[in-house]
Amino acid sequence: MNGAEFLLRALQHEGVETIFGYPGGAILPVYDALYTSSLRHILVRHEQAAAMAADGYARATGKVGVCMVTSGPGATNLLTGIANAFMDSVPLVAITGQVATPLLGTDAFQEVDIFGMSLPVVKHSFLVRSANELPQVVREAFRIAASGRPGPVLIDLPKDVALAPADFSPLDRAQINSSPAPSPAALAHAKSLLRASRKPVIYAGGGIRLAGAVEAFRAFAELTAIPVVATLKGLGALPADHELFLGMMGMHGTKCANDAVQNCDLLLCIGARFDDRATGPIKTFAPDAKIIHLDVDPAEMGKRRTPDAPVIGDLRAALWGLALPLKIDAWRRSCLAEKKTGAVRYDAPGESVDAPRFLNRLAAAATGETFVACDVGQHQMRVAQHYPFARPEHQLTSGGLGAMGYGLPAAIGAQVGRPDARVILVTGDGSILMNIHELATIARYKLPVKIVLLDNQFLGMVRQWQELFYQEKYSETDLYDNPDFVKLAEAFGIPAFAIETAAQEDEAIGRLLQEPGPVFLQVRLDPEAKVWPIVPPGKSNSQMLEDPAFTGAPS
Amino acid sequence: MNHKLNLEVRQAEGALLRVLGTAERRGYQPVALEAGPGEITGEFAVLLTVRSERDPGLLARQLANLHDVRHVEVLS
Repeated sequence: MNGAEFLLRALQHEGVETIFGYPGGAILPVYDALYTSSLRHILVRHEQAAAMAADGYARATGKVGVCMVTSGPGATNLLTGIANAFMDSVPLVAITGQVATPLLGTDAFQEVDIFGMSLPVVKHSFLVRSANELPQVVREAFRIAASGRPGPVLIDLPKDVALAPADFSPLDRAQINSSPAPSPAALAHAKSLLRASRKPVIYAGGGIRLAGAVEAFRAFAELTAIPVVATLKGLGALPADHELFLGMMGMHGTKCANDAVQNCDLLLCIGARFDDRATGPIKTFAPDAKIIHLDVDPAEMGKRRTPDAPVIGDLRAALWGLALPLKIDAWRRSCLAEKKTGAVRYDAPGESVDAPRFLNRLAAAATGETFVACDVGQHQMRVAQHYPFARPEHQLTSGGLGAMGYGLPAAIGAQVGRPDARVILVTGDGSILMNIHELATIARYKLPVKIVLLDNQFLGMVRQWQELFYQEKYSETDLYDNPDFVKLAEAFGIPAFAIETAAQEDEAIGRLLQEPGPVFLQVRLDPEAKVWPIVPPGKSNSQMLEDPAFTGAPS
Repeated sequence: MNHKLNLEVRQAEGALLRVLGTAERRGYQPVALEAGPGEITGEFAVLLTVRSERDPGLLARQLANLHDVRHVEVLS
């Protein structure tokens, strides 16, 4: 057995069933071993998609995602996907081929210092200089990726190490370190703030899902009956239709969510990180609130806002330890009254497709377990606003990095990992072209992903900012010369059709969901339509601009 | 303002780069670095001085998250 064969054996020992990858020179020994392996390999068409598909797989299955590429450009192409996993705390093991150890540092063909290049965007990394290191490295990589706050781990594997004798047995499977419970003193202090509060709000983040704490969170919210707002990645921690849920907070959040945060006297930040898109200028964020911050990562404490009560450790233990009924009826009633007053309307006038209404109808029709992947831009915010998520893992979105091109490979990863579930991709005409080649992967593996392209022939979110904040100078955002997307999808072997009127919405949704196999739906939109509400850059969350069509305010 | 941190770091590939990179990227400018063999075989003893208006305790927590950092404390 050589290093490559051992590597695959060790991966299987760690429970890996699927690898997303793309072969090349330096990783050839591993692909040679893969030829007779029972591991499933999904061949993507660009290395970036390998990392992003592994990311989508990890989010949808709860397992560690694995991707594998060659050295040099293969490795550099992986970087955006690794950074995406790092920013969103996704457990990933990325394996890169490397030139043979005698050639390291000689500028050999397809040599790049991926170990050095990836340092800021990995949780940890290994350059394997001897086959003897492999058993320990593989086990450590999986343990580190999945323990505590998850993240990506890189294994850089020189070709000679992959070819060296390696007659080892895999070590015992990696034991995922359990997160310690918070200290009783921290819980007691937080509890005292909670008891004293008259206007508390829960600020729910993606860490709730990562900690496996969704049920504990829901029990906590219901016992305390505190109004809940969520970050982009916290959506679904409480079902969107739950009475206590006020909506997403931040730049494109609901007014009632932002108002509740701005006016609260206590903010319970649970598994979130005071991201600037959620908070706006930090000095104006929740200005009168004391802060209880619950997180497994001590480095999040005080990174942007110093908590009055830091509670570090396992979220489930923290939530059970803090739960107590509160007398906040008047505050809750006032939050819920504002929620009712500001409820989203889906009665946009006109004959054009209205993206919010379309997404809301799509969600209503997509019964059963459904994952929704999206890219980055207007459509991403519209999914967050108008597609009501019942579970946080159902939304696959590039939250921290904001990487256009994420959606299609993420949908592939989710569908590979969860063949029993429905996977919908909602994308934009800017984003889809960043990884359009992955339609070939969809077709090759006959993945029944339902693709909805919200096409406004612009880089819509940038255009919106140019219109609102850059004096309507539409610098390089006009995509008037997009390809014919229907023909393009068909060229990849995927059935495709397009709509452009409101009257076609329901029939198109029915066809999209009912037709077996992958389907590509192009929805032609008004390029001037904007995502509302929006907090202008540099303004506080109290200063939202709302849709002038519904408020009568000047546009 | 200058802050001094004392670290025990595993002698592993890239370990010192990770420490310096984390400090710089998080907004703490390294102004001095002393590293040598630690008391425990296979570890570096590191004395890092950084300049920043940010809380040195936050940097200590960020450094402690690095897999190769065994111990970190803020000296001043």
